[in-house]
Amino acid sequence: MSDRLRVSGLSKAFGAVPVLTGIDLEVPAGGLTALLGRSGSGKTTLLRIIAGFGRADAGEVRVGDRDVTGMPSERRRIGYVTQDGNLFPHLTVAGNVTFGLPWRARRRRHRVEELLELVGLDPSYAGRLPHSLSGGEQQRVALARALAPEPDILLLDEPFSALDAELRSSTRRAVAATLRATRTTALLVTHDQSEAMSLADRVAVLRDGVVRQEGTARDVYLHPVDLDVAGFVGEIVDLPATFAGATAATPLGPVALREHAVGSGLAHVRPEQIEPAEDGTEAEVTDVELHGGFGVVRAKCGPVQVTARWPTHLLPQPGSVVRVRVRGAAVLASGEV
Amino acid sequence: MTKGSISAVRRLLAVTVAFTAAAALAACGSDASSDSAGDPTLVLYNAQHEEVGQAWADGFTATTGIKVEVRNGSDFELANQIVAEGAASPADVFITENSPAMSLVSSKDLFSPVDAATKGQVPAQYASSKGDWVGVAARATVFVYNTDQVTEAQLPTSILDLAKPEWKGRFGISPSGADFQAIVSAVYALKGDAEGAAWLQGVKDNAKIYRGNSTIMKAANSGEVPGGVIYHYYWYGDQADGGANSAKTKLAFLGNQDPGAFVSVSGGGVLKSSRHQAEAQQLLAYMTGAEGQKMLADSKALEYTVGNGVAANPALKPLAELGAPTVDLNTLNGPKIVEEMQRVGLL
Amino acid sequence: MTERGVAGAGLRLPPLRAAVALAVAGLSVIPLWYVGSGLATAGGGFVDLVWRPRVGELLVNTVSLVVAVTAACLVIGVGAAWLVERTDLPLRPLWTVLNAAPLAIPAFVNSFGWSSLSPRFAGFGAAFLVTTLSYYPLVYLPAAAALRDTDPAFDEAARSLGCGPWRAFARITLPRLRPAALGGGLLVGLHLLAEFGAIQSLRFDTFTTAIYDQYQAYFGGTGATALASVLVLLCLVLLVAELRLAGRARLARVGSGSRRRPVPHRLGRGRLLAAAALLLLAVAALGVPLGRIGYWLVVSTSTAFPAAELARATASTVVLGLVGAAATTAAALPVAWLVVRRPGWASRLVERGTYIGHALPGIVVALALITVGIRYVPALYQSTTMLVVAYVTLFLPLALVGLRSALAQSPPELDEVGRTLGVGPGGILLRVTVPLVARGAGAGAALVFLAVVTELTSTLLLAPTGTRTLATQFWSESTAIHYGAAAPYALLMILVSAPMAYLLTREARA
Repeated sequence: MSDRLRVSGLSKAFGAVPVLTGIDLEVPAGGLTALLGRSGSGKTTLLRIIAGFGRADAGEVRVGDRDVTGMPSERRRIGYVTQDGNLFPHLTVAGNVTFGLPWRARRRRHRVEELLELVGLDPSYAGRLPHSLSGGEQQRVALARALAPEPDILLLDEPFSALDAELRSSTRRAVAATLRATRTTALLVTHDQSEAMSLADRVAVLRDGVVRQEGTARDVYLHPVDLDVAGFVGEIVDLPATFAGATAATPLGPVALREHAVGSGLAHVRPEQIEPAEDGTEAEVTDVELHGGFGVVRAKCGPVQVTARWPTHLLPQPGSVVRVRVRGAAVLASGEV
Repeated sequence: MTKGSISAVRRLLAVTVAFTAAAALAACGSDASSDSAGDPTLVLYNAQHEEVGQAWADGFTATTGIKVEVRNGSDFELANQIVAEGAASPADVFITENSPAMSLVSSKDLFSPVDAATKGQVPAQYASSKGDWVGVAARATVFVYNTDQVTEAQLPTSILDLAKPEWKGRFGISPSGADFQAIVSAVYALKGDAEGAAWLQGVKDNAKIYRGNSTIMKAANSGEVPGGVIYHYYWYGDQADGGANSAKTKLAFLGNQDPGAFVSVSGGGVLKSSRHQAEAQQLLAYMTGAEGQKMLADSKALEYTVGNGVAANPALKPLAELGAPTVDLNTLNGPKIVEEMQRVGLL
Repeated sequence: MTERGVAGAGLRLPPLRAAVALAVAGLSVIPLWYVGSGLATAGGGFVDLVWRPRVGELLVNTVSLVVAVTAACLVIGVGAAWLVERTDLPLRPLWTVLNAAPLAIPAFVNSFGWSSLSPRFAGFGAAFLVTTLSYYPLVYLPAAAALRDTDPAFDEAARSLGCGPWRAFARITLPRLRPAALGGGLLVGLHLLAEFGAIQSLRFDTFTTAIYDQYQAYFGGTGATALASVLVLLCLVLLVAELRLAGRARLARVGSGSRRRPVPHRLGRGRLLAAAALLLLAVAALGVPLGRIGYWLVVSTSTAFPAAELARATASTVVLGLVGAAATTAAALPVAWLVVRRPGWASRLVERGTYIGHALPGIVVALALITVGIRYVPALYQSTTMLVVAYVTLFLPLALVGLRSALAQSPPELDEVGRTLGVGPGGILLRVTVPLVARGAGAGAALVFLAVVTELTSTLLLAPTGTRTLATQFWSESTAIHYGAAAPYALLMILVSAPMAYLLTREARA
């Protein structure tokens, strides 16, 4: 049974350069939290400190009620899946998967088969060597290996980034399903917001060594705390606005605000909030980009450039004039700079 | 430095200390073998020909029942080793091919005085005037020459001739060898420093430099160089071995007490640090005695015997007929000669 | 140690490994200390001993030999490796074996073989030829291994961009070979600095032969130390030069995952020419010494086969070789680990320090160990233990080179992943690190074995009294010009070495 992971007041500097500053983070038992950050945001450093490969200058790491801060990694019961899988090249799949098991347990065939099935691999893989597996298969074996000793916490460091698009989504699904099945507490590090959003129950956005926002994926997407988080977790459209309390006047008509504001500035909305509407504002389509089931429409509304995301059957021709409006409230408003 | 890294350094030190202590303990534990008073085993550092040293050791064991372990090496290796070992040397007896190695050890005062009876078995000119080692064998310096390239009339009559212009590039020497250094010593001793220095410079300008006597002999045999300065036994040995490297050569003995007719003495001595002085002196007495010298004469080493009343191998020109110069063995190849050879660039 | 160096790197320095690495490095300091204390004794006279024309001559000789032979070995070694690995040369397996085989022939045996052809075989050219023929496999083997490891895709990409085979070789293959080839080149250079046996009869003086001469002059000990100090400086120059030339690339990983056998370059009409060149090389490096040994066996009257004596010498040679190889490899492991996993000036210093023992003449290292050994561990004096310690001091770099690259190829993430699976550092060492570096360690151990088989001076001075090895017996017979008696020992040395040389070709093929 998995435990809760709690990191509190964690700080780390390399020389005079602070990398992590007072990190507080909690992953509930059985939950999957994605730690989302750009490269250089300190997310790998944080993960390595949790795993026990690096030491923090201050703060503590707790697993359930255990303080593991000063503990060597092998005693933490924290599993780790890396970007490349890092399977032991001299061991078979079975040897890799059972690496962390006690000596007796390593011999039990059915345990290997169980674990392989768990990650969606055929038991016949047991005797194969890592170099004969595809990248996705290697990652699944790495996951099975990490899960085998039934760790309290599982850390996943960009585990899908080395895979191609198709493998990535299938591997992702397999991993998510496995984690749910085993109810393992997991912390996933990624720079890919769609990966974070699609997999995780909760998302923590890390920037400049500080957790800027932590919440459910939906919450972070719809209610980002600042412009930077807003831009990082999804695309945004900036609309010049005159604020009047609960609403703002924009070139696309009135837009609701979450917080009262006065003066002028920008109202930020998501592209999918800009919909076609009979009674909307006229805009001239400059460019249409098809993505299968939906498309991205770029249009000019006077001097304002807007981006919208529409279902494919609604897509206009470039050069045509469409009428649009904003649905729902702005995710964020910012004053004129 | 953080708390963590200090503790890492401490652990490091602790482990290093433990490691060293364990090694030292292991060392002490294995100290049992070296010495039990009842049944001594002598250690002979043998720089002589292996077969000679071994024959003496075996013969001594057969006669006295005292075991001898033989450690083989060359003069300079074993002499430097004994000096480095100092008072802790495991060696009981040291025998060499040439006397300068004995002088080195003697200069560090590492030899015991030789028993009077043993000294009586060897003529005084073949022993250290300090009385701390005696000769066990001897070898003669000769001029080997290619008979196609050098006629008897052209042969040098003295080693001093080799500094003359007509010998430029026509003879080989092995300046790193003890024998050549002994010749230089002899020239300086017999002719004085000024003449010696002029001669040494002339030789440096004239000679072709080889390393080792056998290389010189082979070069002379093939005609690569008309002649060279070597020890006698290389030539006799090769003649006995089929003559592949000496068939076209002959030896010239310079004689007449010329520095080039130098006879080098192979020495033997008992180490002061030996814990078996009596047995070690016995071994030295055996080697220089009638039985030991007879063994030398019969061996294929073809060296001269030095013990009273034992003739050398009949193939050799008798020692008494060589006309060797008289040189104090203790002064041979001293630091001065090394400095002189370093100065002219032969070393 | 700085915060960045230890704590910042994340893991604590495992104390045992670091301590062993320091102890090993300490060993290599002993010869340095010996030379230093000799200099201190010499005092002001030291300047006169170093600042004289003779030292100038030796410097010119030594430097020109090192530069010329290293360059020749690089050209021949890399060239042969490329021909064998990347072209449609016929009889590939044969050339693989023949190019490693010279390692089985001790350099001094090769030298005796050549110089017995003609006494005119002497001087710079002779020394150059003999040492090049003996040492080029030290470059060939790592170069061939690197060529096998390098992804041919780079080469193919270059060719698709319009580079012909030769330009692709020069612009892609060669730069990628650089760390491996230079590592081999460094070993060649260090071997040359310390080489005595192969050069001593060729009428060509280097610092090492001159150092032996000084010792032979008995009262020239100080002169020897003075020359040795210049030799240490030359060694440092080589070490720094290799670091500079190889740059950061030296520990870089070469391709991972499954490798393809590249499409060989077509040599066309050059095929026969290339095969002929390799054949000539094999005849020069193998045919001549083997032929001469056969000739001595047949012609010389001193030829004898004292079976018991031969068996005894062979047995002690093999045992010393195996023990020396195992001990040296074990000692090299923590040093390699330190260099690869904890890079920094301190570990680099430790690693580079171990090369010094390899560049000094055996007599200097042996006398240093005698001086220290008899004073501090008298019980170990002239024991097999002490001899093995001497081998470790002398041959550590040979074991280090293979281990270092093997360790570099096993990423540290594997250790970390292993530990998150609940396995401690000791378990990781046994279950991950050792199996992964086994191949590299095996290659290093084979090189050490070959070196021990041909080692002479330290064995003479430090082995238990009465020990005879093939090398000491060969040497004593051949200096007494009993070539016929020496020949069986030479032959046995080659036979004993052959399996190890073959092991090295296997390593290169893996």
